[in-house]
Amino acid sequence: MSNKEEFADIIREHQGLLYKVSAIYTNNEPDREDLFQDIVYQLWKYFDSFRNESKISTWMYRVAMNTAIIHLKKVKRTPTSESITDSQIQISDVKDEVFEERMRLLHQQIYDLNTLERGIMLLLLEGKSYQEISEITGLKPSNVGTRISRIKQKLRENMTKA
Amino acid sequence: MELEELQASWIAMSQELEKQKRLTNEIILKMTQDRFQKKFSTLRSFETVGAIICYIMAGMIFFSFEKLDTWYLQTSGVLTIGFLIVLPTFVLKSLKKIQNLDILNGSYKENLLIYIKEKNKLLRLQQIGIYLSYLLLFLVVPVFTKIISNKNIFLSNFKPLQGVALFVALVLMFFFTRWGYRSYKKITNSAEDVLRDLES
Repeated sequence: MSNKEEFADIIREHQGLLYKVSAIYTNNEPDREDLFQDIVYQLWKYFDSFRNESKISTWMYRVAMNTAIIHLKKVKRTPTSESITDSQIQISDVKDEVFEERMRLLHQQIYDLNTLERGIMLLLLEGKSYQEISEITGLKPSNVGTRISRIKQKLRENMTKA
Repeated sequence: MELEELQASWIAMSQELEKQKRLTNEIILKMTQDRFQKKFSTLRSFETVGAIICYIMAGMIFFSFEKLDTWYLQTSGVLTIGFLIVLPTFVLKSLKKIQNLDILNGSYKENLLIYIKEKNKLLRLQQIGIYLSYLLLFLVVPVFTKIISNKNIFLSNFKPLQGVALFVALVLMFFFTRWGYRSYKKITNSAEDVLRDLES
């Protein structure tokens, strides 16, 4: 199997992960698609550097979340002739109205969380252990626990306000 | 919605996504092509376009410097060139640092720290730029009037229309500065909170 084919297979296998990372850091469809494509590009750029020292998904989370940080700087763009359009990549086929509704509800909840907390929240929702969250974010495992308690508190406060 | 409810909703969404895997190898490989990266080129950012305009203006002054025939016009020219080169260069350097975050080896925490610090720096530079633009207004007009029309504005009679134009420009700049400062405080206050959180 060629390197490109192997990469494409891995992306196909983990595309849900990439959609979720893209969704949690953006709040509109064009930005979400831009971030998704940028993450795939960055993963391909560094694919040869992956050495099986960690799980492929852990490596993907790290690259995807770091890419999302750079994306925070970018402003909303209008589509250009150079961009890959929906019709070409068919990302819009992957989600539906139910997905959009769930994302809308989720965004309502995470709106008040800062970027660090959003990252932790994403990994927590993905069922990652404190150790794995620590490995991906660079926080100490004990620190992860403290922050998760704080996030829970914020969510409760949001619920009271709503 | 409590965390447990969010988790249940998240799991349901993940299961839907698992069922709907529709990306093909061809689509994925298209995303890896270099032409896609051009979309994210820093050339697209407002800051880079602004910096290029500043460099062009500085170049115009530099190559027409002999037209500035008095000491005060020459001083204005030097200060304007300095302003047009130094500030945009700092902005571009800061942007480059953000673009060059260590995506592969840097942790999320480390990259977030660099990002927030650089973003704060960028905002500070933009604030300095806004305040310095008051000064620049009084430098750039005589310099470019001399370069383009070969007129020394300091020796010309001050016309009422020019006074009105200057007044309007200053009023507009005042409101722009006030808006810029408020936006700056809002963004940096929230960034400072995250910084404190990250460094704790």
